[in-house]
Amino acid sequence: MARHVVCRADELPPGGVREVEVGGRSIGVLNVDGTLYALRNVCPHQGAPLCRGTVGGTMLPSRPQEWVYGRDGQVLRCPWHGWEFDLTTGRSLIDPARVRVKAYPVAVEEGNVVVEV
Amino acid sequence: MRNGLERVDADVHPHFDRGVATLEPYLDAAGKRRVLGSAFGQAWAAEAYASQFTLPKNDLYINPGGVMRRDTYTPDGSVPGSDPDLLVEQLVEGCDVDRAVLTCGNTMGLGALADPDLAARVASAVNEWMLERWLQHDRRLRGSLLVAPQDATLAAAEIDRMAGRDGFVQVHMPMREGLIGERHYWPIYAAAERHGLPVAIHPNSVDTIYRHAPNIAGGTPTYYIEWHSTLTEIFQAAVISLVCQGVFERFPGLKVVVTEGGFAWLVDVLWRMDKNWESLREEVPWLKRRPSEYVFDHVRFTTQPFPEPERPEHLAAVCEIVQADRTLLFSSDYPHWDFDNPLRAIAKLPEQTRRRVQADNAVELYGDRLL
Repeated sequence: MARHVVCRADELPPGGVREVEVGGRSIGVLNVDGTLYALRNVCPHQGAPLCRGTVGGTMLPSRPQEWVYGRDGQVLRCPWHGWEFDLTTGRSLIDPARVRVKAYPVAVEEGNVVVEV
Repeated sequence: MRNGLERVDADVHPHFDRGVATLEPYLDAAGKRRVLGSAFGQAWAAEAYASQFTLPKNDLYINPGGVMRRDTYTPDGSVPGSDPDLLVEQLVEGCDVDRAVLTCGNTMGLGALADPDLAARVASAVNEWMLERWLQHDRRLRGSLLVAPQDATLAAAEIDRMAGRDGFVQVHMPMREGLIGERHYWPIYAAAERHGLPVAIHPNSVDTIYRHAPNIAGGTPTYYIEWHSTLTEIFQAAVISLVCQGVFERFPGLKVVVTEGGFAWLVDVLWRMDKNWESLREEVPWLKRRPSEYVFDHVRFTTQPFPEPERPEHLAAVCEIVQADRTLLFSSDYPHWDFDNPLRAIAKLPEQTRRRVQADNAVELYGDRLL
């Protein structure tokens, strides 16, 4: 595992996104309400820059004609086709076992955002 | 590859940057009055909504992710597909597209307008805008010549007026209620054939929503996913109508492009038409050949949204049956939400088929106008 400094912590406020190249790979680092996430920035479907999508929640599985909104702030929706991914695990909501992006450990260390790749 | 074109995108959508008001420079005094309204020019009326009408919009079905690719909004937050430089950067240069065929994204539903004269004026203004803002902006952009289908004589006149202008490669004929093989449309096909322009049809944004829009069989869908999945019906009916009415016997030089209307359904339509023809030929004696042969010779289909079946061999079988080597044209649908990446979407097709779909079929269809 290599450690990579993304930016200073104050450069990634809540709601912020940074895209960094580490070893030829694009990685997106997101600050969602103070929690940091780092994901491979390439949607496995057609290669969209995943982290330029929208962060929010989603409709939870429910009975027909019921809408139950939940997981707010935990779901990243791809900017192209709207495929949804769990921010923590990188697993898609449509097929978690097979459709996923790599999630990386990320933390603030000595005032810097550091991702382990 | 032939003529140096390696990748052609047959379905790309530029959009107005200021709603209907975008058309102001391209309308004469009467057109401004009619399209934009008497209050246009006053500050409060600058918004398109203050004009006397807005082009038909789909306000009924809500895509949860929005209908635009999220990364196509311009830095200043304006309309996706409204900035030629950004379109060129993201699609043409970003995806190695040698030629992009543009079809105005704001006027898909033009056929649903009730007033044929208003629709024709809008079409003419859109063509001037297409020429000036897009086709003259970058030599890799080509355009669809928009006609209003309400009055086929006016539409044919518009084709005659604009067909010689540099950059137009096809006619876009928005659809309306009724089937497009009917004689109402024949003056449009005659003009298109005369100028060697294929006629493209495309989902109309407002299908089944307005009274004069094309209708989906059975009823009004409840959900966007339902509506969007059902749109292909309209194109099945259109192709069957064109063939059975004898349009391709009457206009042997005519080509029709089914844009974003799907193609996997063609398997069943071809088989069913051919089987029926064996028994019912007498009813349509102007058909000299099997219905499927007219489709292979005269109809082309754009790829997006490209099917993604679990087993690739199923797609290969469909492509063989529909003769993808002749009939399919790659398209991305930029900047819409269901965009297909030109660098990836059809990569799994067998190499020879992929090359045909990616460029050669389009070069054969559009000819010198594309080069």
